[in-house]
Amino acid sequence: MKPILKPFAAALSIAALVAASSAPADDWPNRPLTMVIGFAAGGSTDIQGRVLANVMEDYLGQPVNVVNQPGAGSAVAYTRLANNRDQGRTFLYGGITALTFTPIITRVGYEIDDFEFLATLAVGQNSIVAASGQPFSTFEELVEYGRDNRLTYAQQTALDEAIMRRIAAAEGMNVAIIPTGGGGGMAPLVLGGEVDFAYSGGTHAQYTDGGEMIVMAFMGPERSPFYPEVPTLIELGYDLVMEDYRVIAVPAGIPDRARERLVAAAEQASRSERFRRVTEDNTNFPVVFYDQEETEAAIRRIRAANEAVLGD
Amino acid sequence: MDFTVLGGAIGEALTLQSFIGIGGGVLLGYMIGVIPGLSRSVAIAIAIPMTFYMSPYIAISFLIGLSKGTAAGSAVSAILLNAPGEASSAATALDGYPLAKSGKPKTALQVGLLASVFGDILATVILIFVAIPFARVALMFGPYEMAAILAFALVFIAGLSGGSLFKGLAAGGLGVLLATIGLDQQTGLPRLTFGVTELMDGLPLIAVAIGTLALSEMFVQSERLRLQRGTMSVKLEHRPDDRLRWPELRRLLPTMLRGTGIGTAVGALPGLGPSVGSFMSWGLAQKLSKTPERFGKGAPEGIAASESADNAVIPAALIPLFGLGIPGNVSAALLIGAFAIHGITVGPLLLRDDPEFLYSIFAGMILASLILLVIGWYGLRLFAQVTRVPPHVVIPVVIFFCLSGMLLQGYGTFGLIVLMAFAVIGYLMKKFGYSFVTFIVAFIITPMLELNLRQSIILSGGDWSVLLGRPIALVFIACTLVALLVLAWRTVRGAVGPAPAGD
Repeated sequence: MKPILKPFAAALSIAALVAASSAPADDWPNRPLTMVIGFAAGGSTDIQGRVLANVMEDYLGQPVNVVNQPGAGSAVAYTRLANNRDQGRTFLYGGITALTFTPIITRVGYEIDDFEFLATLAVGQNSIVAASGQPFSTFEELVEYGRDNRLTYAQQTALDEAIMRRIAAAEGMNVAIIPTGGGGGMAPLVLGGEVDFAYSGGTHAQYTDGGEMIVMAFMGPERSPFYPEVPTLIELGYDLVMEDYRVIAVPAGIPDRARERLVAAAEQASRSERFRRVTEDNTNFPVVFYDQEETEAAIRRIRAANEAVLGD
Repeated sequence: MDFTVLGGAIGEALTLQSFIGIGGGVLLGYMIGVIPGLSRSVAIAIAIPMTFYMSPYIAISFLIGLSKGTAAGSAVSAILLNAPGEASSAATALDGYPLAKSGKPKTALQVGLLASVFGDILATVILIFVAIPFARVALMFGPYEMAAILAFALVFIAGLSGGSLFKGLAAGGLGVLLATIGLDQQTGLPRLTFGVTELMDGLPLIAVAIGTLALSEMFVQSERLRLQRGTMSVKLEHRPDDRLRWPELRRLLPTMLRGTGIGTAVGALPGLGPSVGSFMSWGLAQKLSKTPERFGKGAPEGIAASESADNAVIPAALIPLFGLGIPGNVSAALLIGAFAIHGITVGPLLLRDDPEFLYSIFAGMILASLILLVIGWYGLRLFAQVTRVPPHVVIPVVIFFCLSGMLLQGYGTFGLIVLMAFAVIGYLMKKFGYSFVTFIVAFIITPMLELNLRQSIILSGGDWSVLLGRPIALVFIACTLVALLVLAWRTVRGAVGPAPAGD
């Protein structure tokens, strides 16, 4: 470098330093973000996630690209997220069963501590449902009926099956449990009268309005706002809960600035009319905002509860 | 049916916007279908975000047009390159490729297109006028009936491949074995995953299908290219008789009608899917033909049977969707998501609450079929030119599409490994005369068969007499037994049936 240019170069580099350090704090993110969905396109998580990405994009001022990483009920997506080094530019929107349930029954390559859970945005609607027009219409009547008659129950996960086995054992009911492989497989079995009652994660919503299905018990800790007259399992006298949250997860230890901005974007999304409409009206998940501390505590609590239920 | 509502619905279907939207969907779908490696459900999944900014009617018609386009387009690569982009077009390749190779690529493409559009329109009409009021019939098909139908489909389709019974059993057995990999559907415990998280959902069907069907064919053809230059794929000579004539088309009509019937029935039963439809249709056409020996050697009836059923499945899969709110297959399940994004809950209530919307979608579907006819007709002239491109260009391009298509699904490196592994397996099967059709059909059917069989056994409590109250299941069990006996008889006699599956 010629000597005469040196002062210029120094000035330039100082200017660059100043510019870098005094950059507006709202600078993050300065590159597009990636939202990972642990399911194939078209499911309830995907529908909610795509609208959420849209809302967050408006707030953060950078595109949020949605990437589907299907496999093993999001376990594949969590495995990849645990190894992600994008400093918060890649985050996951999805359920928590891959953390609270899957690791109990099989070996996975991640643990709860590998992640931070920045917020909960929606609460799942696990319920016990049946077709209308049966000899029973409440859970008490179902239990009474099941003491004298063989009942068939359509499960979707090992967890809801374990819960139903506990209830059946406690009440002396005769219940045969069959697999369905998901809500799409449950509906025809219930509507066609092949099974007497079933677990549903939310698929029932489109049949309860028309009166084809009834909800007999809600599996969350509190009653569902959509079916306020339906009791929870706890109210019915069983100390059993099956909860699902839709959360935003990032690899543990992302920069503080990224965390702040993502939390702010999530909180703003929970108040957004667009996100609320798609989540509540179309997928029947109530929209909430639980902060990071609350979400992480809930995940550990649910994990412990599931271990207790599946323990035997 | 309320005719003012109908009029309004048709009015909406015929706006310029809807022409552009639906036409765009059909064109895009057609191109995706032509490219091996990109499948129907991927096309819909990728296109759903594109519909965010369309009106609900155009969005849904766009997506349905897209699936119709892919079903018709996938016949093109099956016929010209013997590289079906989806398992459902593999049956089309059985006759399409030999016919094209014999110097009639245009005829083959024309038969494929016309059968597609025929099955499409007829099934849509059935959907509109017959099926929705009778959608509840599908609920009569419980686990017992589904298990019996699936068992029949497995035996019937496996029996089509002919050749050695033992090689057939080996190929089918491999399909069954590999299909059991993944989490058990009831207990959630892993089977044969060897601790690999990616295997917990089983081997991805799309990677297995593209590897075995399309990519392996590129290996076969590159080997042939090395041995004898210049005889790859199809030589398009301008033979004056390479044109579909009316008398010939008229002879194909009964086959297309039957294919549409099978496709509609298969589509209306949740779970079965287009591959079962196209193979069943192809098999039935062969069994009923006076000259079954022509099948697998370039019989136009084979193309017509397979393509009409493949396309009829698409509107038919909407029968349980609109009638009961239950998706008939993966693409229909994706459509539920698309509906939901636009604030519409699909199901029986749609007809009651918003009939105008529903009818405008039906009008859009018919429009999509007609646009498909036009695009396909002019498109096939263009695509027929592919056969003039030298093989050393075509092969790498197809391989590139297979690999990049796989990456698009989001399975990452794991998807590529599975794809390559099954390309090798498919190559070896073709090389040593094991039926890859039997293999892939077993792989597709096994998970459904297992689930329904387990449901039936638990529901019945192991009591066989339940079947006496299930006449539909009994009929299919009887058919399965007959098909098994015929297969055994054929082997004992040492007679070798037509062998379309080999090369």
